[in-house]
Amino acid sequence: MGFIQVEDVVKRFGRTLALRGVSLSIEKGELFAILGPSGCGKTTLLRIIAGFEVPDSGRIMFEGRDVTELPPDKRGTVMVFQNWALWPHMTVYENIAFGLRLRKLPREEIDRRVKWVLDLLGLRGMEKRYPGQLSGGQQQRVALARALVVQPRVLLLDEPLSNLDAKLRLRLRGELRKLQRKLGITMIYVTHDQEEAMSLADRIAVMRNGVVEEVGSPEQLYSNPSKLFTAMFLGRTTLVLGKVVDTEDRTAVIQLGEIQVKAINHGLGKGDTAALVVKAEGATTRQPHSPGDYTVLRGTVSVSMYIGSFIEVRLAIPGLEKDILLDLPSDEKEPPIGSELEVYVPLRNMHAYPAEEEIVKEALEQA
Amino acid sequence: MAKASTARAKPSLLKRLYPKAKTDLEIFLLLYIPLIVITVAFIVPLLTIIPEAAKADYKGLLSNVYYLELDKYSVNRFVVVNKLPNEIRVTINGFDFGVIGNSIINAAIVTIIAAILGSSLALLIGIYRFRGRRVFSVLAYIPLLIAPFVNAYVVKVVFAPSLSPQGNTLSYLLNHLFEPLLGKKLIIAFDKQAGVALAQILMFYPIIYINTLAALGAVDATLVEQALNLGARGLKLLRRIVLPLVVPGILAGSTLVFILSLEDVGAPLVFNYDKMISYQVYQFFQSAAAGDRATIAALSLILLTAAAIPLVFIRRYLSLRYYARLARGAPRPFQGIRLGKAGYLVAYLVFLPIVVAAATPQIGVIILSLSKRWVGPLPDLLPAHNLLANFHAIVSDPGLRRAITNSLTYLGEAIIFVAILGFMTGYAIARARLPGAGLLDILASLPLAVPGLVVAFSYFVFFSKYSLYGFFDPFLNPGHVLVLAYIIRKMPFTVRSVFTSVIQTPEELEEAARSLGARRARVIRRIVLPLVWYGIVAGLLLSSIYILSEVSVSVTIGALKGGPIANPSTHAAPITYAIAEIFTLPSVTGGTQPQARAAALAALLMITEIAVIAIASRLARRGQALITL
Ligand SMILES: Nc1ncnc2c1ncn2[C@@H]1O[C@H](COP(=O)(O)OP(=O)(O)OP(=O)(O)O)[C@@H](O)[C@H]1O
Ligand SMILES: [Mg+2]
Repeated sequence: MGFIQVEDVVKRFGRTLALRGVSLSIEKGELFAILGPSGCGKTTLLRIIAGFEVPDSGRIMFEGRDVTELPPDKRGTVMVFQNWALWPHMTVYENIAFGLRLRKLPREEIDRRVKWVLDLLGLRGMEKRYPGQLSGGQQQRVALARALVVQPRVLLLDEPLSNLDAKLRLRLRGELRKLQRKLGITMIYVTHDQEEAMSLADRIAVMRNGVVEEVGSPEQLYSNPSKLFTAMFLGRTTLVLGKVVDTEDRTAVIQLGEIQVKAINHGLGKGDTAALVVKAEGATTRQPHSPGDYTVLRGTVSVSMYIGSFIEVRLAIPGLEKDILLDLPSDEKEPPIGSELEVYVPLRNMHAYPAEEEIVKEALEQA
Repeated sequence: MAKASTARAKPSLLKRLYPKAKTDLEIFLLLYIPLIVITVAFIVPLLTIIPEAAKADYKGLLSNVYYLELDKYSVNRFVVVNKLPNEIRVTINGFDFGVIGNSIINAAIVTIIAAILGSSLALLIGIYRFRGRRVFSVLAYIPLLIAPFVNAYVVKVVFAPSLSPQGNTLSYLLNHLFEPLLGKKLIIAFDKQAGVALAQILMFYPIIYINTLAALGAVDATLVEQALNLGARGLKLLRRIVLPLVVPGILAGSTLVFILSLEDVGAPLVFNYDKMISYQVYQFFQSAAAGDRATIAALSLILLTAAAIPLVFIRRYLSLRYYARLARGAPRPFQGIRLGKAGYLVAYLVFLPIVVAAATPQIGVIILSLSKRWVGPLPDLLPAHNLLANFHAIVSDPGLRRAITNSLTYLGEAIIFVAILGFMTGYAIARARLPGAGLLDILASLPLAVPGLVVAFSYFVFFSKYSLYGFFDPFLNPGHVLVLAYIIRKMPFTVRSVFTSVIQTPEELEEAARSLGARRARVIRRIVLPLVWYGIVAGLLLSSIYILSEVSVSVTIGALKGGPIANPSTHAAPITYAIAEIFTLPSVTGGTQPQARAAALAALLMITEIAVIAIASRLARRGQALITL
């Protein structure tokens, strides 16, 4: 039994089914990320955990206790909102001290704790300002400070860094991770930014359309996703359809247009239609040292662009409707458009799944 | 585990409410206290009219031509033209369909004409830019100032038949032009139903004007520009883009006008036209409620039903959510297109006379308050050194002084409850996600749509039965009943203003505090109140002026302990009843006309209204939407 247990939660808003039976188990002291595209129900799930919404069915348990109907002020979960929700009529100091005053701490203690968190987040000297007089990044940090200062058991963060510029985002991400470790806070972190989820989280739940597709550590989800959607969603990927012509122990041989490729097999049998996900990275035109770990894609170059850290290539495979996106190392020769090319792709970047209609349709429509 | 939760059947209402009541008691109280108060103090008394009205003899009532007459005699004196050697007298009397027919048909006609005038004026001012637009819009607001009875009186001296050989003020002025032209005097006068209708149209058309203008304020400029780009011009633009957006505003305003016309006592009283339901109800209370109760109950029920019918069509616009959308306005309001030459002609030849005529009563009230008398075509102004004599007279009259104190006392008592209940209601409708929140949304605005006379009569029946010799006994303590009526009838203005301010404050601000551990009560004190206080104050100010100028209940229930003239030291009547009472006094030849004193009282009221509306619309930022239905 996890520290926080989400059991088969369903939530409907009028006609929209925002959550269609979500279950999760989150451990104490864990930094748990919820990752998924816009509108998949992340915020709704977080708000149910926080107590702002009551699910239509299902339960929320904290340490084995049913808190489904418990109002937010009784849960000990503190939430940081996507739009920060700073109180415009209070100064930075008052905003941060609010939670401490609620806990009826002595004045000196409040002062000490506020100072501590101001230092921690580099907000010293801003105590007397109102939120309207701060920059976006500063407001963001005040919102974090307001939550962190009460040292909650559980901190819920809804895309807390999404409104910041890339540099600040990176720095705060690091600080957040350090703090979480130091204070041992259980954090649930909602984001649609996969890189953020990967770099921060102990575990990630990937959500799609009101359901949790898969839960796992970042490495696990990235290198060996067990679900088609996870494979698609993480990294720069191309999804194409093929036919399984043969299966071996962990791999499958797939007819892809006029060529045959090998891919890691996730439950396909001979003759099945395969949804093949190809990750762009790790591809090379040079003969690798251990060719057994690679499979070869052969086709015509339709796009070739020097990006800087890599060369982006789109490879048109004869008989295949969609071009495959591949990143070649930038020290390799930029292949001319229209030329025939043979690319080695690591086997660990080729994953084949049963073709779930909905996901395949969506992916093919996007292209 | 999963099975257990999916197998959970939908629990009963009480079961679902119980955990909320236990853990978030505040929202529970915020929602259900006003819901219960409005139900018990408004809906239940209203329903007591029904058994009372059941006692009436409807067959007799409907076959009595005094109450209902639909034949050629109803309209045969509509316009009477008398050609005399030196003058032509045109008297417009209107129709006489009997008490019931008159009230309803008059209200319908007033509504239609007011809707046409009000909406076209709003379209002119809201869509077009032209020289003098500001003058038009200021003039159009003037009739909204409530000067009960006195404004109708001014309409009477200006437009009604006059004993003076010069005719009424209108004819007197027009004859400077006509007499040389025709060689004869032309005396035009409005009397009876036509006079009542004229007074009401001039009084009420701005309500539609203002509702339409508010709806226009919610029209986004981008939309109009897009239409212009697509080649829509003039009338086509109006029909395709603007009308669909403002029709709800026009409908909402029209409904309010229909109701106000039905329940208006002022114009029938001043024109001495007793064949209207409102006058009958008023008279019933004048005779200390000694009349035929069943008939009055039946008339009240008819009034209520007539008012309810249009409501069915605009139910949607009664919702606070609709109102709040209007109050917010468009992200980029439409700035207007330039008016062409023909437009200028229409504006200045058609609309200017109308807005001036409609502003006449209020301006006339001020003039009358500074006059000795105004019975002929022109007022007889007081001498300059004694210009404020009427105001002095009010202050030195113990009965009137008492009326003023009464009004202020009632206001003070009512406004405390309006503040508390109004905040609870507005907040609960915005935030409570519990069963009953939608019902409260409708109930909260309903009092605006129930004729005040019906409220008065239902309170009378209800409390004389259930509070006999008690706190709410209408004969012993009419003041208590009045305060209750004021609370219920005028709270919607505060509710709206609170609701609008609350939903404009992101809910996350409250949730952030809740998640830090603050109970809702504390969130309201520390987060909500500091952020929406201006909305509350704006609402309370509006409720206050509508309480001070309330007529229907004031002149009925308020009369039950006599008035300032009959019982100067013990009466329970408020200012508006004092004005009404003065109006029924006979003029003393040579002395100051009593109506002039009433005008002074009304002028005081109007000055208060101007000040309060100015402050309130500053606070709420969008003044016009505040007053809409
Ligand atoms: N209060 C609400 N009323 C109606 N529909 C809602 C409400 N809240 C969420 N939804 C709907 O539920 C679905 C899930 O919304 P949610 O906000 O949880 O998505 P999200 O994953 O947080 O998206 P984003 O990444 O864009 O923030 C969406 O289709 C949304 O439109
Ligand atoms: Mg979200």
